[in-house]
Amino acid sequence: MHGRVLIAMLLAALIATPAFADRYVISVLILVFYFAYVGQAWNLMMGFTGQLSLGHSLYVGLGAYVAAGLWLHAGIGPWLGVFAAIAVAAAVGSVTGWLSWRFGIEGVYFALLTIAFAEFTRIGFDHIDMLGAAGGLFLPVNAEEAGQWWNLRGGPLLFYYLALALVAGATLAVAWLRRSRLGYQWVAVREDSEAARALGVDVFRAKMIAMLISSGMTAVGGVFYAFYHRNLFPGQVFEMGRSIELILAPIVGGLGTVFGPIIGAFILTPLGEALIAATERSGFNAPGTKAVFYGAALIAIIYLVPSGVWPWIARRLGFSEHRQ
Amino acid sequence: MTDKNHMTLSRRGLLAGTAAAATLISAPGIVRAQAKTLKIGVLLPRSGYLAQSGQACHRGATISTKVLAGYGHSVELVHVDTESSADIARTQAERLINEGAQCLVGPFDSAAALSIAQVCEQRQVPFVINIAAAPQITEQGYKYLVRNFPTGGQLVTNGLNLIKDLLAATKVAPKSAVFLHANDTFGSAQRKAMDAIFPKAQMPFQLAESIAYDPKAQDLSVEVTKIRALNPDLVLVVTRAADAIKLVRDMVRQRFEPKGIISPGSPGLYDEEFYQALGPFADFHTYNLPWANPKAQMTQALEAAFKPAHPSNRFAVDCFNVGFTFEALLIAADGFKRAGTANGPDLMKAIKETNLADHVMIGGPIKFDEKGQNNGIISAVVQNRGRTPTVVLPQASATMAPVMPMPPWQGRT
Repeated sequence: MHGRVLIAMLLAALIATPAFADRYVISVLILVFYFAYVGQAWNLMMGFTGQLSLGHSLYVGLGAYVAAGLWLHAGIGPWLGVFAAIAVAAAVGSVTGWLSWRFGIEGVYFALLTIAFAEFTRIGFDHIDMLGAAGGLFLPVNAEEAGQWWNLRGGPLLFYYLALALVAGATLAVAWLRRSRLGYQWVAVREDSEAARALGVDVFRAKMIAMLISSGMTAVGGVFYAFYHRNLFPGQVFEMGRSIELILAPIVGGLGTVFGPIIGAFILTPLGEALIAATERSGFNAPGTKAVFYGAALIAIIYLVPSGVWPWIARRLGFSEHRQ
Repeated sequence: MTDKNHMTLSRRGLLAGTAAAATLISAPGIVRAQAKTLKIGVLLPRSGYLAQSGQACHRGATISTKVLAGYGHSVELVHVDTESSADIARTQAERLINEGAQCLVGPFDSAAALSIAQVCEQRQVPFVINIAAAPQITEQGYKYLVRNFPTGGQLVTNGLNLIKDLLAATKVAPKSAVFLHANDTFGSAQRKAMDAIFPKAQMPFQLAESIAYDPKAQDLSVEVTKIRALNPDLVLVVTRAADAIKLVRDMVRQRFEPKGIISPGSPGLYDEEFYQALGPFADFHTYNLPWANPKAQMTQALEAAFKPAHPSNRFAVDCFNVGFTFEALLIAADGFKRAGTANGPDLMKAIKETNLADHVMIGGPIKFDEKGQNNGIISAVVQNRGRTPTVVLPQASATMAPVMPMPPWQGRT
């Protein structure tokens, strides 16, 4: 019970944060929430179902481009466009999943397939003129639209609360899914798919549902990304580095846990920002210095708490959550 | 008896006192507003996939304080690495402004430029773009942004027009050309611009074919074989450094000798590794790009400061990135000098009214249109001579005459 009180207090603190935090802190927190959200989506695939996707940037990019394209060419706002984004990403996700699992592609081969899908989609988008092709897609920034929250035009506060709502919603959904019949099926598939099948679990169906939900959720993150940055380049949104970025938080926070992606994002993004400031102030401002320290910090975390930071914290606080 | 020393508070006295108190209270603000030094945040991609160019820009920024001081400008620079990420560019822009940056300069990347632009717009802090070519940057209606760099379309248009000048100057009349480009984001964008602009440019030769290649390929022998079969007089290229090396190596290997290898606006042919890898085969390649004017006094001052600060780098090789970064800082410093204040709206107004005749890059005075774009930036024809980028056109800035056709590969030393 005291866990819920603590969560409520943390949520209240985050809601109140803009009242006393400056814009820099707000912008960092927006990134934290974004990575926590897409981390939650990816965690459904890897953490709960045991399917390693290294191409989740595909769904970020699809969500971003679909919503931005609908807004630019059809005047359909992001609140409606997000449904189209989810549908397209889920459709592509289901094709990827069907092609893989229907033909028994598992493990690292599945991971390679996800990379391949992201990569050829990037190349494809490099040539779609309607969406700006390689030259980029730009959402206009007209002064008269400023403050139109219904078109996702606004300052950092709008995006702060939107990102916070996304994380809170995703966390609730993931917590519910984890305790659902489907959640237990996912865990069974992750631990031993043959044994799960022997027990009557429809393994293919369980994996496909995980893929549909995960890709759809990730696409929502893409819509957020598009309207926050207001410019999209295929080389940036679909690239492999993006996929790696979004899986770091759940890995560091704790795979297969509800709060792992959030804790991971709260560690990694501020750590990166702190290292930039620290290297700058120390005068040791050589390019890449931050990346070296960042990498060393990641190694240290993985070495000290191999199952993730959140399970370690949860144990110390006496909470029950651990990787199922 | 009246007490003459008795203190009475007259209306005039009250007014004078209030004025004095107000002056005292507002003094720090006035002092701040009239500060002699402009604090500029310089955001550049010094690591990540744009690191090579970002570091060249950074070398320019590090020597700028001294050179600007020589011209009566006082600036304090805070250098930040954006790690080639638009996310980091955005958060760091916020941090720099929090920490007192009164103007931002950078960031050698269109995506990062648009992220920073949003922050600057909301916080009313001027943003001077050194390098970023996406045309839409100045079409978005930002009021706190200026760009001292041509758009992608302007680069290709200028590049193609200069080919005509080059042909006229060398009296070479090619009949055909092949356009070879990397199939990455930059190369594909240049291809798109080429497809749109070439038919209207009335070039004196036919474009036989456009060929895309993978810049990560082990070699370009297949592409070179294909070009050889077409036997064009000119090869127009959009390359990066590594693939430009592979391209020339395969041309030498297959003894394919066009009259000219010309880039209508891309890097690759003037990187230090290009010269080191190819030696004498690196010479006589031509690229049409905005370039530092070797005859300008400010360029010479910049070069003089560059040599001791970066002894392992050559100004002639870096001057594209160094020159534009310096000019962005110059624009900010000049605006500050004229505005007399670092207050955002006033400083931006002054920056928009920039009219700098003396600067580094070849072209007319630095001026901005109502959208914040400098449309007066022209390209130069630069040719590798003695493994050094050398301006050969326009004549007013040239230090050597252009050579075309290229000398044969054999016999080069």
